[in-house]
Amino acid sequence: MRLLVIEDDRTIASFLVKGLQEAGFAIDHAEEGRNGLALALTEPYDAAVVDVMLPGLDGLSLIEEMRRRKVRTPVLILSAKRSVDDRVRGLQAGGDDYLVKPFAFSELLARVQALIRRSTGETQPTRLVVGDLVLDLISRSVERAGAVIELRPREFTLLEYLMRNAGRVVSKTMIMEHVWNYSFDPRTNVVDVLVFRLREKIDRGFEQKRIQTVRGIGYVLK
Amino acid sequence: MTTQPDRARTPFGLRLAAWYAALFVGSAVVLIALTYLLLASSLRQRDQEIIQSTLEKYASAYEQDGLQGLNDAIRSDRVAGQHETLFVRAIGADAEAIYFSAPEDWSGFNLARLDAAPAPGTEVWSDVRAAQTGDVLEVASVRLPDGIIFQVGKSTRSRGELLARFRTVMLLAFASVILIGLTGAAVITRSALQPIRHLIDAVRRILATGRIEARVPARATGDALDQLSGLFNSMLDRIEALIAGMRGSLDNVAHDLRTPMMRLRSIAETALQSEAGSDAQRDALADILEESDRVGAMLNTLMDISEAETGTMKLARERVDVADLFRETVELYSDLAEEKHLTLAASSTPGLTLDADHNRLRQVMANLVDNALKYTPAGGTIALAGRAEDANVILEVRDTGIGIPPADLPRVWDRLYRGDASRSERGLGLGLSLVRAIVEAHGGTVAVQSDSGLGSTFTIVLPMEPRSSTK
Repeated sequence: MRLLVIEDDRTIASFLVKGLQEAGFAIDHAEEGRNGLALALTEPYDAAVVDVMLPGLDGLSLIEEMRRRKVRTPVLILSAKRSVDDRVRGLQAGGDDYLVKPFAFSELLARVQALIRRSTGETQPTRLVVGDLVLDLISRSVERAGAVIELRPREFTLLEYLMRNAGRVVSKTMIMEHVWNYSFDPRTNVVDVLVFRLREKIDRGFEQKRIQTVRGIGYVLK
Repeated sequence: MTTQPDRARTPFGLRLAAWYAALFVGSAVVLIALTYLLLASSLRQRDQEIIQSTLEKYASAYEQDGLQGLNDAIRSDRVAGQHETLFVRAIGADAEAIYFSAPEDWSGFNLARLDAAPAPGTEVWSDVRAAQTGDVLEVASVRLPDGIIFQVGKSTRSRGELLARFRTVMLLAFASVILIGLTGAAVITRSALQPIRHLIDAVRRILATGRIEARVPARATGDALDQLSGLFNSMLDRIEALIAGMRGSLDNVAHDLRTPMMRLRSIAETALQSEAGSDAQRDALADILEESDRVGAMLNTLMDISEAETGTMKLARERVDVADLFRETVELYSDLAEEKHLTLAASSTPGLTLDADHNRLRQVMANLVDNALKYTPAGGTIALAGRAEDANVILEVRDTGIGIPPADLPRVWDRLYRGDASRSERGLGLGLSLVRAIVEAHGGTVAVQSDSGLGSTFTIVLPMEPRSSTK
């Protein structure tokens, strides 16, 4: 998988490049809008991560130019602006995604992978398997080491989300959005409570704890 | 730049004054002219009546008693002092004057022009103009059946003198009319343009000083210009409030961010002093991440609050079902409530809906329930209730918590305020401020009622339909 990152802030850029490389992507990086556009128009990328504020050519114009030239690489737009303006909304409608700074790397990764999945039309599995943990999306049942585990609907949704992102850290914000569809941050530990309950059901009595807390970032299922 | 308003103002003021003066003087001219014409024509009519009645009197006297009768009539008139100013002539059949009487100074009239004889029984009017003076002798002639031509005339001189005097008086009057007209125009223009000048002054002061406190003086006359001044002042009030609000929130943001920034700094500083790669350093890094997430969340909330307070928050209004809203809130917090051994229940009038931003209302409910969960001890109850009242929807969050001391009640809505009892609980202290800001942005109100130790009730009143106008 090949990714293009167009971001002018060096610290953020190296954070993204390093993280995405570790996640197994081949990365090209441009610091300036025009160079970025030239790369996007000539090289075949699976996805691109583009900052809105760029020297040379701003991110939104860059994406619009790509689309005008029939380059359909899916783009994750990065912005420091909280409010989504109409241009971004237009791009979002075209299948691109949008992420507000500051963000957790895990969230960026999840969104990039979702973009690639959508653009390649990858078929969704009906069964998720992580080691001895099996989740069947059709019968909505969960087993660990052959033993059936009863889950409440929200616990099931959370487990499914963690298993889809197995091995990757998932932030509390992402869980909030995915499980409750709340796009803001209620300040109490709603997520912690749900994760705690799920962990009780999945990991109790097992030597290997599948759901782990990554302090300061979120949770990971391994 | 500064001369431009002057250039714009002067022609308008002048135009207004000119129009006023022209109208004023014009109507005075018409009035004076009409009076003059009326006077002249009635004087003329009176003279002619005198001429005619004298002519008839003398003619009948002549017809009755001949020349003797005429002489008697003229003499009696002369005694009565009525004859002096009249010209009287009788012309015999042989074109010889058989009687002639006229004031001495009337020599200027060319009487030869009066010789044309009228037809018998008819009355003929003729005018003779004096060569030097310009006076006119108006003469009525009549031919009696026996061929005698009778003529009676009157000079227009006295009439002319009267009219001349009248003209002099009118000229004086006209001069004063012009004076009054111009003065009036100046005064009226001045007073009519005063509000506009005040407006210009106010705008200029604001532009020059950058201070928005300038106001246009109110006159309370209720006319269009007064309304304009009033509206202008209201607009300035609104702008001033907006600027103050923004300035205030900027100050607050700066202030509110210093504490977490300080925490970040001290965590990093402590970590740098500990052993490289140690658990203490890893912990510090995690702390820093958590802290920076909190700063981010806080920034968002502060932005929301100031947007709502300054009226710039965009509300995506839609039909919101209160039952859905409650269900979502309960779903979000049911696990937590269970964990804390609290009962979280909701009830609302079926079919209760309102026009509002669904996501923002979820935020409001989440913040209130969040708050209630924090301050309600195990075994307690948190109840959500919704009902309609008039054109409003009432949403209530009632808890059986520790309550809020009366002294703290008015301050719970303040930013970052937390009563002593809540210092140990984690939170940003912005939740209730955000609740109030969002509700007020929807045109609603919030209130809290609390009994220390027994619990608190937060009541939200929201209009079912958005208010059509702001004022």
